[in-house]
Amino acid sequence: MARLARAEQHPAATGTTLVVMVGLGVAFLLFMAFLNVVKSGNLLNDSNLLYAALIFYSGAGTLYLGFGVTGTPSYIRFASLATWAGLLANTGAVAHRWYESGHPPFASIYEMLLSFVWTLAVLTLIAEKKFGVKVIGTVTMPVAIVGVVLMQLLRTEVHPLVPALQSTWLHVHVTLAMLAYAACALSFALAMMFLIKDKMKTETFLAATSLFGIGTYLGVLTRFEKWGGLSVIAWDPERKSEMFIAKGARLFIVIPDLGWLMLLVLAAVAAPLALYLMWRKTGKENLIDIANRAVFVSILLQVLALVFFLLRARDGRYGSLDADGLFSTSLAASPFILSGLAGGIFVSLLYLLLLWRRHDLERMLPSAEELDRITYKTIAIAFPLLTLMIAAGAYWANRTWGSYWSWDPKETWAAITWLVYAGYLHMRVTRGWRGRRAAYFAILGFAVVMFTFFGVTYLLPGLHAYA
Amino acid sequence: MAATIQSSAWKTLRKIWQSLGAIKTGVVLLILVVIISAAGTVILQRPATEADEMQRAYSPQVLRLLDGAGLTDVFHAWWFVLLLSLVSLSIIVASLQRFPNSWRFFSRPYKSADETFRNALPNHVLIPIKDEEQALSVTERVFHKAGFRAEHIVRENSFSLFGERHRLSELAVYIVHASLLLIFLGGIVDALYGWRGFVTLNRGQQSSQVEAQNGSKRDLGFAVRCDGAGQENYADGTPKRWWSDLVVLDNGREALRKQIVVNDPLVYRGIRFYQASYGNTGKIDRLVLAATPRDGKAPQDIAIGLDQTVSLDSDTTVRLAEFIPDYVVRDGQIYARSSDLENPAARLVVESRKSNHAVDFWLPAIPGFEQNASSPYTFEGKDLQMAYFTGLEVSHEPGQWSVWAGVLVMGLGLAVVFYFVHTRVWAAPVRDARGQLMLWIGGTANKNKDVFEQRFRELVEQIKTELKISSKAGAETPVTSLAGK
Repeated sequence: MARLARAEQHPAATGTTLVVMVGLGVAFLLFMAFLNVVKSGNLLNDSNLLYAALIFYSGAGTLYLGFGVTGTPSYIRFASLATWAGLLANTGAVAHRWYESGHPPFASIYEMLLSFVWTLAVLTLIAEKKFGVKVIGTVTMPVAIVGVVLMQLLRTEVHPLVPALQSTWLHVHVTLAMLAYAACALSFALAMMFLIKDKMKTETFLAATSLFGIGTYLGVLTRFEKWGGLSVIAWDPERKSEMFIAKGARLFIVIPDLGWLMLLVLAAVAAPLALYLMWRKTGKENLIDIANRAVFVSILLQVLALVFFLLRARDGRYGSLDADGLFSTSLAASPFILSGLAGGIFVSLLYLLLLWRRHDLERMLPSAEELDRITYKTIAIAFPLLTLMIAAGAYWANRTWGSYWSWDPKETWAAITWLVYAGYLHMRVTRGWRGRRAAYFAILGFAVVMFTFFGVTYLLPGLHAYA
Repeated sequence: MAATIQSSAWKTLRKIWQSLGAIKTGVVLLILVVIISAAGTVILQRPATEADEMQRAYSPQVLRLLDGAGLTDVFHAWWFVLLLSLVSLSIIVASLQRFPNSWRFFSRPYKSADETFRNALPNHVLIPIKDEEQALSVTERVFHKAGFRAEHIVRENSFSLFGERHRLSELAVYIVHASLLLIFLGGIVDALYGWRGFVTLNRGQQSSQVEAQNGSKRDLGFAVRCDGAGQENYADGTPKRWWSDLVVLDNGREALRKQIVVNDPLVYRGIRFYQASYGNTGKIDRLVLAATPRDGKAPQDIAIGLDQTVSLDSDTTVRLAEFIPDYVVRDGQIYARSSDLENPAARLVVESRKSNHAVDFWLPAIPGFEQNASSPYTFEGKDLQMAYFTGLEVSHEPGQWSVWAGVLVMGLGLAVVFYFVHTRVWAAPVRDARGQLMLWIGGTANKNKDVFEQRFRELVEQIKTELKISSKAGAETPVTSLAGK
């Protein structure tokens, strides 16, 4: 009851604040993308098509968010239309990239993101039209937008494929991976919606948001922090690739002071969790109010950190601990930091949406049972895809390295993902796990997927280094 | 006394058997596998990481501790293998314990619904009918249209209908478990009898031995020869393709010939040769020179290999005595700095038979190493080709066929598990408490129950409408609503 009362206290202006915030963010991103279009001369290339897709996805995302906030049904119609238009442009971008490079767009992280966003948009439309989960776009569209923006920053030339990647089996493997991961992302979004519909406390979401932020910034700091600076990979602007000091050893340069800023942000994102724990212990209601304000402050700080990182990584030359001289870096050299920072902001914004408009959100969701069932169905799609993905990868590895399983970190984590979902299915079928426990499992599964996709590539060493 | 010991041992065995098959055991084992393999990706692993890198990453005490616990080679440690064997055992036992029930269900389908079953089934309806035969034939037709080929189950003086689809779905989970065991079996066979090795071949060279991972030599039982190897580049200079022309020689006869590239190995007697590396040996393959006689005759082109002697005229010969791809002069000595073709120099020996006189000089001339006597010819380098080696990864994995078979079976099994639903429908004429003749229709599905409920309702509606059409002569009777939902 107290929760509802708190939600009511906020005047309607807070909803507008959110829309304005999102609008400003979109405008900023559009401007960044616009610079790219001005630079490239020709009209019909994947960059411009992607730019069009970004505009439409942004429009769709804003409308989905608007629907989440106000519940106006006409928003959804236009949001769907915008998603269709974005998908069309996205398809054009994929086709152009494919035509230009002569291979399916799965070879670099840029191309993988391109395919991932495309799959996500398709699945969003399917979930909306076929299963009637209209608010799904509120979660998936911002992810798509972040994906497209990352691509704008990562912009890479068409690199010819190194011999190991010239294999049909690789394309099969990566296509299956993208499909499986997109299905996992969808099951995650559905599980979250189930928890909202299942009356999970908003305070628990607060703690989870804070935990996600802590995890992200701890990951960034433990891996990249050095002497108060941020250690990032140097980038060779002429060859458009990372710089190496020896075979397999990347050259790291240190951007000074950013480490301290990240540490500050870590403290800011950790504060809500600390306040939540104090609230659990003492039961003082005002602690939660302070925690919610702390989330707001942490968003501002996170945006600040992202902006500083963008500005300093794009320009300037920095020294290295391993080599003499000054080197430049590029955003393309630090996809993990970039997606981590963007993801943190996005998750915090979603929490604010939940905090302010939970009531309306719940009204627009299908019943909890329905959500539970659809979550299971998406996992029933994702699991066979995961299986085939691993099999295709093993077959490719066998043709390339002569061994179908060599326990490299990516392989091992793919197997762990598979085991987690296998566990979910067994618990559901033999133990009849439904509802919350199943939803937690689906969320855990997606967390492992994310770690396999990003964490393993950037935090652990392995054979998949070039993907 | 002996009997009690025997029975207590029997009890323990039973207990072990029971707990091995329990889902709890399976889950605990899987969680252990997850934790240990995750640890194996965080801690640097031995054969993949070089020893000195390990020493740089961990302090000596920590390294000794990790090594002692087997944590630096988790995936080949005996306890990890033991854990995986326990998982396999648990899958086998769990499947064996549950299979007889499923098999009974599968092999003896429940066709004739008795009264208790009829009342207990969640999805069933009762429709009042006039004529048994006619109602059943209508129902049979509707069932048939929906894909159920209904069987007539004869009872004392009437019959009932039974139809089903995808009965195999009941056994699909065992198919998936069996496929997993097939994959494990392949893995175990490869761990025990498989091996990996490496062999480096220059052009024209052959070898019947490869170097195994532990450094020992392994005989192939046949020889493999490299007839050529090369690299093709993209326009921007990045490698596009590496290839090697390989010939298999079995008992001196040429048994197989294939050009291998990355992703496309040569297979002979279950042993696979993969294109793994390609590089410069630092040695010269062929040097093309323009030789101009001092007496003003026309120049001639000659091609020469290392230690080869070529006649220039009836009297004079030239020999390529030495080749350095990247030379440097330091302290009055010539050294090779690297094996890259950076700063090449060739030492030529020109001999005249008549005068029995030899001139020995460097090309290009290296200051401080000129010979006083001049050669009867001057030379100019026109072209040179380096000798390249090809590095071949060799592997023998006799168990891989079991793995691929397992993967195929698992794909099929999962398709059946998730997308094939065992649905069953029954129809039987019954009399209700007041003696009214009714048609009982029931149905059930083993998964996706919500979808089936919808379909069942549609089926019933169809039967109702068809019954009305075919019995419109008779008076309309009110239909009972859905009993189950």
